[in-house]
Amino acid sequence: MKIRKKIKDSQILWHILLCLVVAILLFPIVFAVMNSFKNNTEAINNVMHLLPKEPTLENYIHVFEKLPFVRITLNTFIIAVVVTLLKTITSLFAAYAFVYFDFKGKGILYFLMLSTMFIPFTVTMIPNYLLVSKLGLSDSIIGVMLPQFADVLGIFMLRQSMRGISKSLIEVARLDNIGNVKIMTDIVLPLVRPALISTGIIFFINSWNEYVWPVLILKSKENYTLSLALQMYISSEGGTNFSVAMAVSVMTMLIPLVLYIIFQRYIINTFAMSGIKG
Amino acid sequence: MKKKLKEKEGLLGYLFLIPSLLAFCIFMFYPMLDTIYLSFFDWNLVKPTKTFVGLSNYITLFTDPNTLKILKNTLLYIAILLVFNLIVPYILSFILSVIIKKGQGFYKAVFFLPSVISLVVGSILYTWILNPVSGPVAIIAKHFGITMPIWSQTEGWVIVVLCIITSWKAFGYNFIVILAGVSGVSQDVIEAARLDGVPMIKIFKDMIIPMSSATGIYVLIYTIVQGLQFVYTPIKVITQGGPNYASSNLIYKSYHEAFTLYRTGMSAATSVLTVAIFMVLLILEFKFVEKGVYYEN
Amino acid sequence: MKKKMTQLLALALSAGMLAGCGSTAATTGTEQQSSNEEAETATKDATDKDTSKSSGEKTVIEYWHCNAETQGGLTVDELVKNFNESNDHIEVVAKYNPDMYKGLMQNLQAETATGNTPALVQIGWAFVDYFSNNFAYVSPQDAIDTYDAEDKTFLTDNFLPNILDLAVNSSGEQVGIPYSLSTPVLYVNTDLLSEAGVENTEPATWEEVQEIAAQVKENTGKYGLYVQEPEDFWAQQALIESAGGKLLTQTGDNTYEATFASEEGIHAMQTYADMVADGSALHIGWEEGAQSFVDGNCAMLYTTIARRAYVQENAKFNAISVKSPEWEGQTRQVPAGGCFLAITAQDKDQIAAAWEFEKYLYSVESMAAWTKGTGYVPPRKDVADAENGLKDFLAENTMMTPAIEQMEDVVKWTAWPGDAGLTAEQTLLDMRDQILGGEVSAEEGMTKAQDDINALLPQ
Repeated sequence: MKIRKKIKDSQILWHILLCLVVAILLFPIVFAVMNSFKNNTEAINNVMHLLPKEPTLENYIHVFEKLPFVRITLNTFIIAVVVTLLKTITSLFAAYAFVYFDFKGKGILYFLMLSTMFIPFTVTMIPNYLLVSKLGLSDSIIGVMLPQFADVLGIFMLRQSMRGISKSLIEVARLDNIGNVKIMTDIVLPLVRPALISTGIIFFINSWNEYVWPVLILKSKENYTLSLALQMYISSEGGTNFSVAMAVSVMTMLIPLVLYIIFQRYIINTFAMSGIKG
Repeated sequence: MKKKLKEKEGLLGYLFLIPSLLAFCIFMFYPMLDTIYLSFFDWNLVKPTKTFVGLSNYITLFTDPNTLKILKNTLLYIAILLVFNLIVPYILSFILSVIIKKGQGFYKAVFFLPSVISLVVGSILYTWILNPVSGPVAIIAKHFGITMPIWSQTEGWVIVVLCIITSWKAFGYNFIVILAGVSGVSQDVIEAARLDGVPMIKIFKDMIIPMSSATGIYVLIYTIVQGLQFVYTPIKVITQGGPNYASSNLIYKSYHEAFTLYRTGMSAATSVLTVAIFMVLLILEFKFVEKGVYYEN
Repeated sequence: MKKKMTQLLALALSAGMLAGCGSTAATTGTEQQSSNEEAETATKDATDKDTSKSSGEKTVIEYWHCNAETQGGLTVDELVKNFNESNDHIEVVAKYNPDMYKGLMQNLQAETATGNTPALVQIGWAFVDYFSNNFAYVSPQDAIDTYDAEDKTFLTDNFLPNILDLAVNSSGEQVGIPYSLSTPVLYVNTDLLSEAGVENTEPATWEEVQEIAAQVKENTGKYGLYVQEPEDFWAQQALIESAGGKLLTQTGDNTYEATFASEEGIHAMQTYADMVADGSALHIGWEEGAQSFVDGNCAMLYTTIARRAYVQENAKFNAISVKSPEWEGQTRQVPAGGCFLAITAQDKDQIAAAWEFEKYLYSVESMAAWTKGTGYVPPRKDVADAENGLKDFLAENTMMTPAIEQMEDVVKWTAWPGDAGLTAEQTLLDMRDQILGGEVSAEEGMTKAQDDINALLPQ
């Protein structure tokens, strides 16, 4: 009895520690939301007052009136959707090939694809930039999408998930002379659905947040994505408009957060699998 | 008959791989070769002629005292990122899966939350929150008599803070992966050890870590490769590599050489060095983590 | 047949362009070669554009600027919109480039590498040499002579000679026309000064500033001074040159020497470093530094006049601005910040359209709107006093006055000549970090940086 109580007490201490971590991780998000409802003067002068004293929507109004904001959100969305679809489809085929087919050079090819994870973006940045520009696609969202139609992360996660499917199921189907495409769509796909969804969501979120590549490609405001719109409000000669920057930040966070909250279980389970090999 | 089937299977296998392979070849492997090629030339991205300079870019790279500084910084980044993204999540995973078992779902969900937020947003937010003169953290610290260092201008501190910002985003993913690995360790074995009165530290050190080492190595490598690239965004937004290269790393140096100083060759040479280091990690990864996985199938 | 025609036309155009280039660009071998190549790519462009034009479309030109939303971006949009509505043959597309003039230069560099160039661009003063060495441009007087012959004296009629000089490169060519002009001023929190028991709230010398800062530190525990530290050496140039130092000295026709490590220059930087070391001055990023002034944590802010609106709107205390301080016994030297406009268009229609738009931007009304939107000082002579210009605006916004008053002390923002200009600028920034970080003394750091830069300069 006593021991149990002791364990319980120590558990509370641990929970306090964990909640502290939670607070540290969540504070910036709360800070952003609160400041987006202050005007800039209040944001600067009332740093310690988390709740806005005179809540205002002026930052959001500014964003919608002065920026082609709907357009910018739409750009971000279109890029994210197209990139997600392309990456998911190519990953699905590649993963299927690695799990269910035997062919020469499979090991080498897998190694080759895995190695792309180890190529830093700085290595491909200059040649890809020149390529996109030569195709006349600079300052266009197509130019942003172009180099992104495959991703080893997806191949890797889907392969991991497919390997969980009993092989005999596939063998039986093959003996029945069912075509591979049909096997994929009718048998494999439903079974890897959770992995497929979470890979897709992660692709979407990553593309939504992408900054390094679009900043090199996109120039006019109408073609901007949200991350780029954000930087218009920081560190310029005239000074940062922090509260508007916060309003843009909140809008940038909104969709990924909503998606995450809806598909949270899938995403976490799929990611949890990605580290366990063999 | 069976042989024929096998052949057909092989062909289909290649066919299924073509889309990804093509994309990788055009947008990753070819550019990489191009970058290697550029590293032997002096060019500024505009001039119509590139001047062949042999190994001169590499010689400049290896004799520049700043390179040594940047390599040291890169190591420091790696070390701190590993603390925040490997050691801390390991300990928290242990606490959550062995010591207390309640609330796993909640903690997992919340820890992962910042991972879905843009690092540009994170960088701007943290510049304010951690402003050493006017930010909330500095003001609170002042109440306790602590003066916050002006981190953006202080060697050492600047890397610590940039790592904190990056870890805010990267932490959740690593935590979930490690937690899965730690949870995979047989509960019976741990229970038995606990009943035998083995201290928790010993359980963690001698049982959990070795038994989840495959996951551990994966996260270790992932943290180095992805973490160094993640950290680029806060460097770009907040310090631009300063003060005096104190926050620059190999990735940022490549960018800085290419798009600030327009020394394409130097940038390419730096990138090649980075790739060389990463390739060593890749081989390690394949040796320790991926091996066995493939042959099993 | 039609295709042949356009090709021929393009050829003729490119020949014309080459001739134009010869008169503007410097004539070293490689540069000539580079403009040849650029002309070829331009030919390709011209072909495309001519085909599209034959269907009766407007001439579309791109105008590249660095004006973020907080810094005149909205005014750019407004001016462009008005221009597009007021004419039927030109359509201007404005493109914002992040990361200031450096960012624009980066994008221009990358764009040129692919053969596309905008028609009109903002070039930061510090890039005047780098720009003219590396890119094909049309000198404003050439554009006027060709496309606006009735108004041949436009430049001399409307601009002061020392202002026009700002956009002249080291080979003596007028590369563009001054557009955005800013100078550094000292903003003072007079409430905080009173709190610290300081009576002199309008310091005129750096020695006074130093004294006040020390008093503020001692009596309030707050910081006394912040001098802006973005990724350029602008404010530090004012500090050094107002002490009698000189960043760059021309030693011959085409030869230069870095000379900032003089006794005066070292004195200025060392004084500033000492203030940082004793805690009376703040050494931090620009954004954080400016924020600590407007939220009352730092008593004086030395930064661009372009921050006036930011200070005016956000400071809750009594803030004033004074002219950039001098060092005792020396005269004020304030480098011009901002940019000039350069025509990078390559084909005839584009150049003509670029000039027409540029001229519109320099009208009194446009200039006045520009000053209101950005906080810059108008580079054109008569805007400040004109009724349709800035008369009322200046009466209301007295913080602008010091910047207008110190116009005669405006000097060039040092542009490092030669191909290694960007590396030289970087060397200065590294030096600033080393000195203010206390790693080296001003003498040591400046002497070393000076030697390094001299090794890069054309001797």
